[in-house]
Amino acid sequence: MTLPPFALRRPVTLDEALRELTEDSVPYCGGTELLLAMRAGLHRPDALVDLKRIPELSGVRVEDGVLVIGATERHADLATHPVIQERLPVFARMERHIGNARVRSQGSIGGNLCFAEPKSDVATVLMALGASVTLAGPEGRRTASVEEFVVGPYYAEKEPDELLVDVRIPLRDGLRGAYVKFQTMERPTVGVAVLADDAAGWYRLGVGAVGEVPLAWSFGSLGEIDPDEVAAWIDPTPDLSGSEEYKRHVTAVYVRRALAKLEQVSA
Amino acid sequence: MGENVVGRSVRRPDLIEKVTGAAEYCVDVTMPGMAHAKIVRSDRAHARITGIDVAAALESPGVVAVVTADDIAALYARFGHIISDHWILATGKVRYYGEPVAVVVAETVAAAADAVELVLVSYEDLPAVMDVDAALAGGAPLVHEQSYDATGDESFQNLSHLEDEADDTEAVLSNIAHEVNVGWGDVDAAFAEAAVVVENTVHFPMLYAYAMEPYNAVASYHEGALTVVSTAQHPYMVRDDLARVFSLPLSRVRVTSPYLGGGYGSKSYTKVEPLASVASWVTGRPVKLTLTVEEAIYTTRVDSARIWVKSGFAADGTILAREFDIVMDSGAYADNSPLVMAKSVNRCFGPYRVPHLRARGRSIYTNTSPASSYRGFGAPQGNLAGETNLDQAAERLGISGADIRRRNLVRKGEEILPGKRGIDADIPADLEMVVESLERDRKDVPYYGIGFGCSASDAGAYPISTAQVRVQIDGSVLVLSGSTEMGQGSRSLLAQVAAEELGVDLSVVTVVQSDTSVTPYERTTGASRTTTLVGLALQRACADARSRLRDMAAELFECSPGEVRDLPGAVAGPDGRELDFGAVVRQWFGGSAGEVTGVGLLRRDGATQKMPPFWEVGMVGVAVEIDPETGVVAVDQLVTVADVGFAINPRAVEGQDLGAATQGLGSALHEELVYDGAQLANANVVDYRVPRVKDLPRKIDLMIAERRDGVGPYGAKGAGEGTLNPIGGAVAAAVARAVGKWPDRLPLTPERVWRLMSSD
Repeated sequence: MTLPPFALRRPVTLDEALRELTEDSVPYCGGTELLLAMRAGLHRPDALVDLKRIPELSGVRVEDGVLVIGATERHADLATHPVIQERLPVFARMERHIGNARVRSQGSIGGNLCFAEPKSDVATVLMALGASVTLAGPEGRRTASVEEFVVGPYYAEKEPDELLVDVRIPLRDGLRGAYVKFQTMERPTVGVAVLADDAAGWYRLGVGAVGEVPLAWSFGSLGEIDPDEVAAWIDPTPDLSGSEEYKRHVTAVYVRRALAKLEQVSA
Repeated sequence: MGENVVGRSVRRPDLIEKVTGAAEYCVDVTMPGMAHAKIVRSDRAHARITGIDVAAALESPGVVAVVTADDIAALYARFGHIISDHWILATGKVRYYGEPVAVVVAETVAAAADAVELVLVSYEDLPAVMDVDAALAGGAPLVHEQSYDATGDESFQNLSHLEDEADDTEAVLSNIAHEVNVGWGDVDAAFAEAAVVVENTVHFPMLYAYAMEPYNAVASYHEGALTVVSTAQHPYMVRDDLARVFSLPLSRVRVTSPYLGGGYGSKSYTKVEPLASVASWVTGRPVKLTLTVEEAIYTTRVDSARIWVKSGFAADGTILAREFDIVMDSGAYADNSPLVMAKSVNRCFGPYRVPHLRARGRSIYTNTSPASSYRGFGAPQGNLAGETNLDQAAERLGISGADIRRRNLVRKGEEILPGKRGIDADIPADLEMVVESLERDRKDVPYYGIGFGCSASDAGAYPISTAQVRVQIDGSVLVLSGSTEMGQGSRSLLAQVAAEELGVDLSVVTVVQSDTSVTPYERTTGASRTTTLVGLALQRACADARSRLRDMAAELFECSPGEVRDLPGAVAGPDGRELDFGAVVRQWFGGSAGEVTGVGLLRRDGATQKMPPFWEVGMVGVAVEIDPETGVVAVDQLVTVADVGFAINPRAVEGQDLGAATQGLGSALHEELVYDGAQLANANVVDYRVPRVKDLPRKIDLMIAERRDGVGPYGAKGAGEGTLNPIGGAVAAAVARAVGKWPDRLPLTPERVWRLMSSD
């Protein structure tokens, strides 16, 4: 299908962008999800508001022990960003293997979260990391955890006149992390993130792509993570990549594989 | 044997332009004043059309016309080269989700797409038959309430190995589009004497022969003549269908096929050409129609099949009798499925001595996307049954998969179809090459299995081919052929043959293909025929050109033609005087101008009298390693033998074999169209999973067996389909040996393998 006609707006400040947004005038960055939806006739906005020229929405920095990633940062750039590679290698590795080369070089982290594609890697790892997002709207700014933000398949808790500004990930010294995914089709069947801050006794497990939304849990030790129990907690979506029963089974397999991989990761 | 140009892996002339994107495909072609079409498609499986309201669509900006069945009722509004059952636009009722109901013609694609939404079609739903069981059930609703006359495509009879069929009897209407029976001997008696009888049922998946380029065409009907540029593999067959639709002389219909972006059989025969053509006929303007991948999947898919097989063996593994019952889901229209079925029946029992055979095949109408040709023509379906049955028998008999084949494979010259051409290959020798390569690299790890299989296809289709060569005044050469370049490399191959025969440099030969008003007749581009049949026609065209050049030189030398000798790119007179081809032409015409045309004609005659023109051998092996926790099958080894007689371009042969094997691995491990109610759940290439680079086997061994045993030029035979045919069975056998249980269906997705391993 050809793309239906639309107007293209190109604001250069966040305020300008916010003034442009309506139900029919929607944010646009990499377009890897939006343009496909438009080509498929699922979505027909009058205008696209291109966010790529807004400096406030880009950049990667560390602020008070928190890694702050601008919403328009692209996956390929995050995968190779020196600060992320040094401070949060598990996140950089995940970014290096998401989607395909075109998605990584075009798609943005903000767009990924706002689209809330259920078969995504990003939200799973961010939930496990306890990350949050900053949103700007006509009423000002607000913060929400990724769990509060990504609430359903293709549904993020964001008003049409709001913009995602950045993603904030609290950094922990000595954090170990592993992310593994089972993928036989175009998108992952299940992704599992395990994180360990041994000094603080802080352990997190995230499981995504298998159900409608990613889920994450805290544990007091790695030994408390029972892969078969985790498989019972999830609510798999049966589809062409597997039945509910099979997806539960491979979730347990991949929780085990994530734990095994974590053992090989030094702090 | 002293050839200079053939037998070498020359670089294909289309390589650079295809890589850079400069090559012209049909989608790039425009015509002056062209309008654009989009198709209004049925949104249900089976329904009576009670009304089509086009008023709102006609008022939409940029819309030129909306064409429905009523607008073309004056035409012969059906096509189909075997059974002319395929309505160009749904007439009276729709038979599958996705069937074209109307064509919207507009100034732009976007305007046409918008107006498609405004065409209001009212339906009265009819009960649908979505699979073969429903279609064959007593009292099943009929997909077609009428029978259609055969088109009198004579070659269909010759291509199938049919027993006397009583065509004259008035058949009771049913959903059986076509039935084929082949057999000999006394099967029941042989089963009664067998030491071991093995019986199993397999399911071959519904596939889409994914080509990167979806179907598209641009057509112009003007002053009683029709010009079409399209993605047709067989432009002449499309021309014949279109001439019948418009009652035009063949000479007034011109069909051109530029480069094709992949065919694999899916672009054989008529597809979107009638839609674009009737839209042009109604509007008086050229009309371009380009389908999406989803629309392409709803245009033509691959026949799925359920096959029951029973074989009886002597205690030493000798085959005594085989019986097959093949049921294919052919969708809403027959298209080429009757021939696919005829071929499947010919090919299911394999290149073995089968003293008693009974094979029945039925092609069934259902309310699904119509099925047609696919690389291998019924062989992949039938072979899966025949070969897995043989391997299960070997297990029961306690002999190896190699030994049971060694015991039963035919030797060179033996007939596998009585009265047909004997096998023109050394298949036992090919088998040893495959087994040796697989065993050499066998890994000693758990969940590892090796499988291999053989097939022999009655290939080449019907031998009607023509070719022309035009020798220019500078000695350069044009080769004209109606065979289509669709990626397989015929353009370089034909240039090699002409350069070899005329003794000219490859760089001065240009091949022009597939324009029914310019290039000479070629029946089809399929069944791996081009190398063998067009190659022979081209050799004759070159000989004819040489003969004409000798005659002309004799006049110039003032001697008799018999005294003129052939030299590479030149002739010599009795006095030793030499003239190159260009000089002969220039001097004979006397004005530094002119050209000489050589014509080559091939028919069922002489070496190509016996059908089939050649046997295409499929000989492959795989080794798989399975992740027991997830059921994921990794292909460790892929081994193929191209039994091609003589490889005119060895690298092209390897490319065909790797491509065919990879396509086969797709259907063995990943690919399957899945119907969910009236429509497909995965009519796109995100959810329909085709092979990727990362899926490639760890070891790939592409061997070529050259024994100069084909009827084609230099002893060549065709390639391109054979290697796909036995892949499914080989993978199934490898998986069975890795996990200790026999699968009964493809694709062997991770979940299916996991369930197989978990089953009791």
